[in-house]
Amino acid sequence: LVPRLKTRDFGEIDYSEDSVIEFPHGLPAFENERRFLMIQPPSMAPLIFLQSAQTPSIAFTAVPVATVEPGYDVSVLPEDLEAIGCPSPDQVAAFVILAFSDEGPATANLLAPIIVNAASRRAVQAVRSDSRYSHRHAIGGVPCS
Amino acid sequence: VLVIRRRAGETVVIGNDVEIEVLEICGSHVKMGIRAPSQVLILRKEVQLTGAENRIASQLPRPLHLEALRDGLRNASGLRLSNESR
Repeated sequence: LVPRLKTRDFGEIDYSEDSVIEFPHGLPAFENERRFLMIQPPSMAPLIFLQSAQTPSIAFTAVPVATVEPGYDVSVLPEDLEAIGCPSPDQVAAFVILAFSDEGPATANLLAPIIVNAASRRAVQAVRSDSRYSHRHAIGGVPCS
Repeated sequence: VLVIRRRAGETVVIGNDVEIEVLEICGSHVKMGIRAPSQVLILRKEVQLTGAENRIASQLPRPLHLEALRDGLRNASGLRLSNESR
């Protein structure tokens, strides 16, 4: 029997257990949300939806970091790397969470990319300790009113 | 902002039960030890900012915003759509 999941944006969907990504510490402000599904509908590419597998109403919109900042320099604290099993650089994928507002353009949190260990399917929101990138990096898509 | 100069090994006290000790200074890095009751949340400021941003980001975007953004990102990255897939 294929497990099904209620989602915020796509109704009820089938998923397989091996497409679940585990955040050992949750995300800041969402510490109890440990299991997420990465939903990538081709019609919405390059947008990606990180849907909590525990709480249907919790989902984030994200993009691969290179989509909004091609030269992004990934820097992850040792404790964050450890949390996802110290992957080698070629096993790592980096995404950034997007925030929307009615007043301004959408923004990407470049201060805290989602780093996924593709081999172990574990992930962490790796909050940088430097101030090189903004947590509200404006990206296009001025709101249509 | 209150400014206090401290050397390694010296401590400041905040209220009755929070202590911050400067453990080590190494170039531009300062190592601090914080003693506080367990119910006091201690976070790097960046983590607090990200928590607040995550709360905003978890709110449902309007479909129009999503589509405009998708198209903007596709155009920016040269990932143009053919007519039939649109």
